[in-house]
Amino acid sequence: MALLELDGLTKRYGGITAVNGVGMRVEAGEVRAVIGPNGAGKTSLFHLITGVVVATSGEVRFDGRSLSGMSSYQRCQAGLSRTFQLTSLFPEMSARENCRVAAQARLGRRWQPWGGAGVFREASARGDEALERLGLTEIAGRPAGLLSHGDQRLLEVAMALAQRPRVLLLDEPTQGLSVEETLTAVETLAGLLADGTLTVLLVEHDMEVVFRLAQKITVMHRGTVIADDIPSVVKQDAAVQAAYLGGYA
Amino acid sequence: MRGLIIAVIVLAAAPLGLPPFAMTLLTEALILGLLAMSLDLMVGYTRLISFGHAAAYGLGAYTCGDLLLHTTLPLPFAVLAAALASGVIAIGVAWTCTLAKGVSFSMLTLAFAQLLYAVAFKWTAVTGASDGLAGIPRRAGPFGLTVFQTKNGYYYLVLACLLGAYAFCRSLVQSPFGAVLRGIRENEPKTLSLGYNTRLYKIAVVAISFALGGLSGALYSPFAGFANTDLLFWLFSGQVLIMVIVGGKGTLIGPILGAAFFMLLEHVLSLYTESWALFFGLIFIGFVTFAPDGIWGLMRRRARV
Amino acid sequence: MDLLPFLLVQCLNALSQAALLFFLGVGLTLIFGIMRIVNFAHGTFYMLGAFLGYSAARLSGNFWLAMIVGPIIAGGIGAAFEVGLLRPLYRRDDSAFLMVTFGLTLVLGDIIRLLWGVDALQVAVPDAFAGIVFLFDEPFPVYRLFLAGAGVVVAIAIWQFLERTRLGLLIRATSQNAEMVHALGVDVNLVRSGIFGIGCGLAALGGVLAAPLVTASLGMAGNAIIDAFVIVIIGGMGSFLGSLLAAVLVAFVQVFGTYYFPDFALAAMYLLMLLVLVVRPGGLLGKEA
Repeated sequence: MALLELDGLTKRYGGITAVNGVGMRVEAGEVRAVIGPNGAGKTSLFHLITGVVVATSGEVRFDGRSLSGMSSYQRCQAGLSRTFQLTSLFPEMSARENCRVAAQARLGRRWQPWGGAGVFREASARGDEALERLGLTEIAGRPAGLLSHGDQRLLEVAMALAQRPRVLLLDEPTQGLSVEETLTAVETLAGLLADGTLTVLLVEHDMEVVFRLAQKITVMHRGTVIADDIPSVVKQDAAVQAAYLGGYA
Repeated sequence: MRGLIIAVIVLAAAPLGLPPFAMTLLTEALILGLLAMSLDLMVGYTRLISFGHAAAYGLGAYTCGDLLLHTTLPLPFAVLAAALASGVIAIGVAWTCTLAKGVSFSMLTLAFAQLLYAVAFKWTAVTGASDGLAGIPRRAGPFGLTVFQTKNGYYYLVLACLLGAYAFCRSLVQSPFGAVLRGIRENEPKTLSLGYNTRLYKIAVVAISFALGGLSGALYSPFAGFANTDLLFWLFSGQVLIMVIVGGKGTLIGPILGAAFFMLLEHVLSLYTESWALFFGLIFIGFVTFAPDGIWGLMRRRARV
Repeated sequence: MDLLPFLLVQCLNALSQAALLFFLGVGLTLIFGIMRIVNFAHGTFYMLGAFLGYSAARLSGNFWLAMIVGPIIAGGIGAAFEVGLLRPLYRRDDSAFLMVTFGLTLVLGDIIRLLWGVDALQVAVPDAFAGIVFLFDEPFPVYRLFLAGAGVVVAIAIWQFLERTRLGLLIRATSQNAEMVHALGVDVNLVRSGIFGIGCGLAALGGVLAAPLVTASLGMAGNAIIDAFVIVIIGGMGSFLGSLLAAVLVAFVQVFGTYYFPDFALAAMYLLMLLVLVVRPGGLLGKEA
């Protein structure tokens, strides 16, 4: 059974169909990329999975359970942690505190209105571990708002990771980075994914990033899936080349 | 911490050295300080800008007044019951107001306070309408305790409530719950996406804030002996916000200083001019524009230099 | 009394009330839509309009002149305030605007008290609209008919201004993308000051027109700001059509509520707002939730 399953997922805005009957199966331990030209419906699909917008029809199943009717925070509690396309952090908190708040969300006494040394200790341990895995330990004490853009992007991944998610959802992790920053970020992410324990769904338009990181690729075009396979096959697919890669060749 | 202990000792010794009229002012300043501190939980720690905190004060004041006038509850219990009632009512208020975000939230809090203001004018049986409640007694007890009936005894009751509330708030903002509030303050959508039901947290903080604001109002009405619709007026809500901002939001101590500063300034200005609103308005604009960290922020910056 | 004539008269009554509410709400929503600023002092500009109208009408003996002079002076003060105090705050979060304009409410309100005193001031209904007419044998003040008409005229004028004129286009563009408009060589700051002034001027126009009905008094600002906020929330922040729709809705609730449930008329307005918020958190025609 796949860990994350999309079945006939459709979103219409008035007369426009942003996502049209998308099906997908993400196995545990798989790194899956969703690519497609601008307007293909990638971001809408991401919103549908994370519960930011409600699907017109179809459903998302996670670990065999339907997520229909669950709001975004409930889906996160279920084990789906995400990053945002435009960096979203707590700018005045330190990087370490950012991760601590993220990790705290998955602890039993996260709302405790007094004391909380135990909660903080556990959350900090998880947060520091995530920072280390992304090579951010050195800047952990600095306010998140003052970090370089590249570090901010990685910090957001660290926050998601600190939640120990069952599926990590990354929305264009290299968005807005310079060429060098992209290289650093991609190598860091590749190192993170190397041991194959994380299940990742990433939306990305940078082809090099996708081919470096993903084991499976889903190609979207005008709201529908036009290809779904391993990278080497997708590269050769005629429909994909016509719709997307052709534009680059 | 050392400063805090000194401050507590000075406040505890105040009745020994100050004349009665000064004690009256000081007691009122502490009551308003408690109110401003309770608003700080919303404004300073969660960035929920409430323009209706007079509602908390009025709810506490009227409830406590009615309990003392119409039941035999001893004073301290009436005060606590009024605070609790105010917090419970706030859950409904907060449920509605948190449907909206940002400035719409502010407007809704204002609208709610105005609704209560309108109700207070109509519901004669409970609020005495435009006459208000008069002759609210400081009833003795429990166990025949009469100490709260004296001026200084009442002062110590107020001081104890303020210190207790401060300790409670301090612990609250440093707890895991407080960490989530800071998350909401800095980036609410992110906090939501991290798996926190932010609306529930906001409702909780509004209820706590109203309970403490209600405590403050409940202390006021037996102190003054009356409760009237002025306590619910929208300008008063604005004044409480001024105390928080001028004192220094997000610091708990700052708003208490802001309330004391407000009281002192009002007292001094009233000796010379009727135009207190003009001066307050200018001072407020000055602080928002040039010193958003308030008096407490300025003091701390000076201490650091 | 027959039901139908009664209803018609009450509807006209509500429409005249809607006109006043519309003048009040539209300025606030224009300012918010374009500048993302909630002007807490909006009710005070409404009050200022009433007092300016009183003085202008007294000095010149001409209500029409008051209708022009009042809004222009109030609008000028508003624009000056925007330049002096709001402009330095554009990089801060929106609560700073709310608080600074609240400070202005105190200052301006007190200056009005110093200039005009604490007593409520009667403003005479202009001669042309004095007296009553009989509609279906029901007496109806001519002035209220005039108000309803003025509301329609001003609503159409603003709409045409936004849709048809170059300045209107500029304003709409600024609300969507201020940086782009700036890049095209337009002084965005000037547009903003202008809008703030126009918004305050519209509130003042409402004040001038309301004064003959309710007198000019220091209590006006508080009620006005609440009404204005309610309209903007119901209509949807920043929506011109929304404020029109909300003004009509609230006016009908106020007029019929006062008649049928006099004790709950005020509560009815808040209940309407609550209902709208539960169904559509962004307001009737608002974009954001």
